[in-house]
Parts: sequence; structure tokens; C-alpha cells
Amino acid sequence: MNGWDWIHWLIFVVVILGFALSMIIVFIWTERKVIGRFQLRRGPNRVGPMGVLQAFADFIKVLTKEDIVPAKADRWVHLLAPIVAFVPALLVLAVVPFRDGSILADLNIGILYVVAIGALGVVGIFMAGWGSNNKYSLISAMRTAAQVVSYEVPVVLSIVGVILITGSLSMVTIVHEQQVPFILLQPLGFLIFFLGTTAEINRSPFDLLEAESEIVAGFHIEYSGMKFALFYLGEYAHAVAASAVITTLFLSGWKGPVLPPVLWFLIKVGFVFWLFLWMRSTLPRLRVDQLMGFAWKFLLPLALFNVFLTGAEVLLWEEKMASWGNFPWPFLFLNLALAGGLIVLWSKFFRLGGGRVEV
Amino acid sequence: MGTGSELAFWLLAVLIVGSALAVVVLRDVFRAALFLVLCFFAVAGIYIILSADFLAAVQVLIYVGAIAVLIIFAIMLTREAQRGSPSNRLQIPVLIVGLLLLAVIVAVVVDTSWPAADVPPPAPTTGDIAEKLFDKNEGFVLPFEIASVLLLAAMIGAIVLVRERKEE
Amino acid sequence: MMELKTEPVVINMGPQHPSTHGVFRMRVTFDGEVIVDMEPVFGYLHRGIEKLAEERTYTQVIPLTDRLDYVASMTNNHAYVLAVERLAGITVPERAEYLRVIMDEMMRISSHLLAVGFLLNDMGAFFTPLMYMFREREKLLDLFEMVCGQRLTYNYMRIGGLSHDIPPEFLPALNRFVQEMPHFIDEYDQLLAENEILLARTKGVGVLSRELAINASASGPVLRASGVSWDIRKADPYSVYDRFKFQVPIGTAGDIYDRYWVRIQEMRHSVRILEQAIKGLPSGEVMAKVPPLLRPPQGEAYAHIESPRGELGFYVVSDNSIAPYRLHIRAPTFINLTTLRDLVIGWKLADAVAVFGSIDIVLGEVDR
Repeated sequence: MNGWDWIHWLIFVVVILGFALSMIIVFIWTERKVIGRFQLRRGPNRVGPMGVLQAFADFIKVLTKEDIVPAKADRWVHLLAPIVAFVPALLVLAVVPFRDGSILADLNIGILYVVAIGALGVVGIFMAGWGSNNKYSLISAMRTAAQVVSYEVPVVLSIVGVILITGSLSMVTIVHEQQVPFILLQPLGFLIFFLGTTAEINRSPFDLLEAESEIVAGFHIEYSGMKFALFYLGEYAHAVAASAVITTLFLSGWKGPVLPPVLWFLIKVGFVFWLFLWMRSTLPRLRVDQLMGFAWKFLLPLALFNVFLTGAEVLLWEEKMASWGNFPWPFLFLNLALAGGLIVLWSKFFRLGGGRVEV
Repeated sequence: MGTGSELAFWLLAVLIVGSALAVVVLRDVFRAALFLVLCFFAVAGIYIILSADFLAAVQVLIYVGAIAVLIIFAIMLTREAQRGSPSNRLQIPVLIVGLLLLAVIVAVVVDTSWPAADVPPPAPTTGDIAEKLFDKNEGFVLPFEIASVLLLAAMIGAIVLVRERKEE
Repeated sequence: MMELKTEPVVINMGPQHPSTHGVFRMRVTFDGEVIVDMEPVFGYLHRGIEKLAEERTYTQVIPLTDRLDYVASMTNNHAYVLAVERLAGITVPERAEYLRVIMDEMMRISSHLLAVGFLLNDMGAFFTPLMYMFREREKLLDLFEMVCGQRLTYNYMRIGGLSHDIPPEFLPALNRFVQEMPHFIDEYDQLLAENEILLARTKGVGVLSRELAINASASGPVLRASGVSWDIRKADPYSVYDRFKFQVPIGTAGDIYDRYWVRIQEMRHSVRILEQAIKGLPSGEVMAKVPPLLRPPQGEAYAHIESPRGELGFYVVSDNSIAPYRLHIRAPTFINLTTLRDLVIGWKLADAVAVFGSIDIVLGEVDR
């Protein structure tokens, strides 16, 4: 490792930290403003012009709060939990290309790294749930365990479709290979990945672990002050990371006409985040058994089918490449049609409501 | 091997041994499980030093993301977790067996001559692993498939065992 | 088959819980996420209103009734003054009766808006439906403010009529509201009625059977969702309700969805009643000749009305003094709440919250 490498790493660590933190602040403001609009409110408008300083005001408020550790809590576990929950979100950004060549580390296992690191955050939630010595937070941790383990399966399977087409795990190569955004070639994969990620970063309608109306605040019920702030920031950091990964995998990353690549990247990230907000502000929450059923009965079969379909298409494409002008146009339309048809048909298998257990 | 990776190796080695000891010694089962996570994670670090990046990612994904989570899940379901791990009268026999195993491993490690390859490690390991695993002639496609069928059978078996019977 | 031993967990939901609508407390026993037992605990908001009333003149009790069902306080006024008027044999001027009906129906709409909004909120829709409902409720509150200067505790009705007549700008504003409200109700229906997650969370969940509903003496939308057509406005018309044409929507299944649906439909019919009442509103006095210090003859009277939450009854006993000898309130939500335990057992934590929201209680009335 020579001197230039070190400088590259140093610069990018600073860039990513700056990016993540500024995006978190922007996202907090955006979320409040956009959800305010969805709800016929104005959103924050007192602190600074259009309320842009709201996030800072929140932050100062949170910092001045008393730091509480419950009497019977597992002190160290309670203390470390916010850190363990927050760090993985930043780590994911290490392999996200902001534009061609602008990346901390172009790992050749990029996407696998994302999935692996993404699984770490749950440990922090566990620690918070257990360490707080609170029944609500314990229920929340249990829900998280079930949810993350279940949703990881369809998420990983939906990535396989992308990997099959590109033949590489590297995030940069994946972006390079996207002649059109993969959302068109892999509509089913995109939907499964998007919904699965929503569940993994615990945003509505899959936000069962902090279900306000059921288990109050879930795993962070006993947290206050800076530790709570870290969870709060972590939630947005995960949202930033998830939006960036979805942008890279399915929305052709930095690519786009006219505008500079970095701007395109930011626009797409913002769009994905806006989708999260849209879901959050319009949908009620699923029940825990419906949540699991959705993962195993709906997303998983469709993800398996998607892998099978994409595999067959990749094999076929290799033969016909020349005659289709280097792009599989027929598959584009076939996949879009199949995705629509399958989703409609498969949803017919679900019986709505009910779910009583004899006790 | 540069000094950087040597330093990293020793740090990781201490971390692995320390956390592994903590897993065994700690009375608080939940903390023990957390140290297990740390141990798995450090092992992934060792893989990275060995340029086995694919393996490292899989290590984190499977061991931390799935196995450790399941262990923690099981601990949370147990009410006795608060009481800590109880000791029983097998302590001394287990100690002897453990020491014996350690002796064997140390003997083997000391006895083996460790040849270092001249070739630099292959850069993307993923493709090579895949070819070794699924090659038409020398691959392990059949064992792989058998293993998957076995796992599937185990999964179905688990579901059948815990499934609630509808009473007629 | 091996028996797996599990141990239930007891959780106190409330009194400081975001979805217990005040200070209600549920002592829930869980097996995993499934509720095996539930014990409702209330009384945290008990202020002794029934006893306080014995120390006040008949008119002074009216502001106390505002504090019962504070989401629909005007209906409490109405039920109380109705009981006292029956006791003292006072006839109310026709204009006052019409205005009372108008107020009641406005109250019903505003209360149902809150009920539906909070039900959705309890199911995890992050405040959006609630804010949509607030948009119309805000207009209603503005109207109330126009009438009596208050937005929550109105203290508008008096024994023998109303405290004062409506201001001239009230009727045009109400007319505008009546014109646009059906469209807004359509909008709610469009946004909510076919939402897959809403259906999944409400259809067939928390079913209150017809028999149980009747045996528990439930009333209001909770009873009607279970398929019982019982509405005091039709069954025992008070005020001038017998002059209006409207229907009583009834559900079939008695699940959360039906309770939601009944409320939405009731809003539509309330708008229809409002339309007719505006058209038929006579001119004249709004207050009968009532002595300033009322001493009703010795005796007792019971008056019940259809409040937004069910049958709200006031039982007044007089000993010919200036204060009631005894006042008793039949609080509809208190009685509806008794069905809660049967509704939630066997369901999950999330369902319990939704069922509780669909019963739509106001703690001020339950605890009194």
C-alpha cells in the first residue's frame, strides 16, 4: 500500500463521513417537510428559513437531555448498543460509488459486503432491546430478530438477479453494466429488494420494532440524550445507505444525461428516500404475523422465480446477443409484464384479515 | 506479509482468543453471545488479511448475520438467561478434554512446515471459488446439491415439528 | 408430541401509553405476541362529576357535563338539559330544538372524524389520516367557536333552550360545510376503504357478535356494526329527530372494519340531517321562560340521547332544592368498553390496540 492509497483512503473517509452526516441532516429536514406536506401541514418553519435548521435544534434539545440508564439495565450493553447500531450504516457507504472512480473501496465483493454489513445493525438493536431491561424493548428486539432474518432471504435472492446479468459483485461494475437502469430489466427484483430493504431498515409499514402505538418506542424506549440521538441518526443513516444501494443496484447509480454524475446520484438517492417517505405517510402498519407471511409467502416465491427467470434469460441472451443489437429488449418487456402479472396473481392467494389464535 | 498486516494479525489473534475465552468464562449468557459475535467478526478480519475477501463476507453474513442472531434469539426466549450459565460436575473432565485437544492442535501447528506460495493471491476470489465448486468435471455439484436437499429436509422437519395441529 | 413449555408475560399497557387514548390501562398477559388475558384498569381520570353535581345549581352542572365526553361535549349538554327539562316540565322553543339537532349532528361528525383518524393512527398510519380528518374537524370547531366562543368545552345549551342565538354568519358557513363535506367523506373512502393493509388489519378482526353486543348492553356504532339496528334517534326520538329523514347504517360482521364503516356512513347521514335542519330552521326565541334559580318539583327523570358513541343517559333526582339530589350518567363508552376483554383475547398485541381504537372511548366519560 503506497502513499497515494493512504491519501485516497483519508480523503474518502472524510468525504463519506461528511456525505453521510450532511445527508442525514438533509433527510431529517426532508422527511419532516415532505411528511408535513403529505399530511396537509407545513412542516417545520420556525427554525431558520423554511425550518432548515430544525435538525440542529432537535440535536441541541436532545443533547441537553438527562442521560438515563435504567436501574437494572445491563450497563455496558446498554451503552454500546447505539454505537453498534449506528456504525454499520456508515460502513455500507464505503462501497457506494458516487461517480465513476469516486469510491472509498471498489471491493470485488461489493454487494456481498453490503449485505453482510447490513446484517450487523441488528446486533445493536438486540443489545438495546436486551440491555434496557424493559419488556417493550424486549418484544421489539424479538420482532426485529424475526423480521431481519426473514427479510434477508428475499433481499439476497433479489440481488442475485442483478449479479446474474452483470456477472460481477463489484458495485462499480454493476453501474457500468446498466445500459438502462436495472429497475426496467429487473422490475420484480427491484420491488422485492425495495420492500425487503424497507423492512430491514425498519421503516413504515414494516416499522414493527418501534411501533409507536403498540410498543411505544420499541428498542430505544429507555434511551435518552446522546444515546437516543445516535439511534435517531442511525435510522436516517440506514435510510441514506439503503437509498444509495438501491440507486446503485437498480437505478444505474451516477449515470444520467446532461447533469453531472454526482448530482444524478444525489437526485436518485433523494427519489428513493422520497419513496420511503411516501410509504411511511400513507400506509398503516402490518401485524407481526402478516409481516412474516408477506416475507415467506409473497416475497420469497417471487424472488426464487425471479432468480430462475433471470438465469434462463442470461443463458438465452448469450446465444442471441448479436441479433438483438447487444441489448435484450424482448426481456425488458417480458419481465415488466411478468412482474405485473405475477404480483396481481400471487396476491390473490392471500386472505385478508383474521388471525385469531385459540387460547 | 508487510508489517501492517502482521500487526493486524496479532491484534486480531488477541481479539479472537480473548473473546473466545470470554464466551466460555462469562456467566452472563447474553454477553457471552455478544463476545461470540465479536469472535466471528475478528475471524472475518483474519480472512481479509489472507486475501480471502469472499470468505470474509460470507463469514460475516452467515455467522454474524444468521447464526449469532439465532443464538441471541434463543437466549432471549429463555427465562433462565438472567441466572447465567450454571456449572456442573463435568467441569474437570471437560477441562482435560479441552487441554488434550489444545495439545494436539499445538503439536500439529508446531510440527507442520508452513510453505509460503510465491504466487500473489488471486485478486477476485469469487469466480475461482465458483469454478472450483461447480466445475463440470472436478466440481462438487452433486455434494452441493445433496447438502442443499439435506438442509431443505431439515427445514421442513423443523416446520413440521413446531407446527400447531388443528384440532378436529 | 413433546409439549413445549412457555411462560406468559404480563405487560402493563398504560396509563401512559400512546394508544390508550388518555389514561386507560390494560394489564395484558401475553403468550409470545398472543393475548391470553386482559384486565382493564380505569379510574385514573375520576373527578367525581356525579358527586360534584350535587353541590351545584342545575345550571352550574352544564359546564361539568362538558368535561365528560370532551370530544363531543355538546351532546352531553343536550342529554343533561333534556333530563332536567323532563323533570321540570319545560317546553323548549322550536328554534332551539332545531339548533340542538344541528349542534348534535355537527358534534357527531367531528367526533367520528377523530374516531376514524385515531383508529388509523393506532394501526400505524403515521398521522396522515388523522391530519386529513383534522382538516374538516377544524372547520367544525371554527363553526362552534362562532356560535359560543369555545372550541372544546362549549357550555352552550341551557335548561329550556340555548344560551344565545346563533350569529348571522353561522348559517352560510354551515351551508358551505354541508355542501363540501360529502366530497371529503368520499375522499376518505377512496383513501382508506380499499387499502390492502387496512383490510388485512381490520377484516374479521376483533369480532363482536350480535349476542355479546346485546348482552353487554353496548350501544352506538359498536352495537350497530354488529348488525343490531338500534339508534335512539329512531327508537325513541327526542328533540325534533322524528321530523328528519335519515337512515341508520348497520354493519354485518361486527369486526373493526364494520365499526369503521358504520362511522363513515353515519357521517354521511349526519350531513343529510344537517341539510334538512338548515332548511327547516324556524325563527323565534331560543330560550323558554325558565326561572333563574330553577327548583324542579320533587321526582326523578331519565333522558337518553344518541351521542356519537352510543346511548348517553342522564338520570336526575330532585328534592325540590336548587341542586340535584342525585345525578347519574350512563356513559356509553364505559359500557362499550366492557366488551374489550372478549374482543382481544386470542388476538395479537397490534390487534388489541386496533380493537381498542375501534371501540372509540373517551376517558373523561369512562372515568367521570
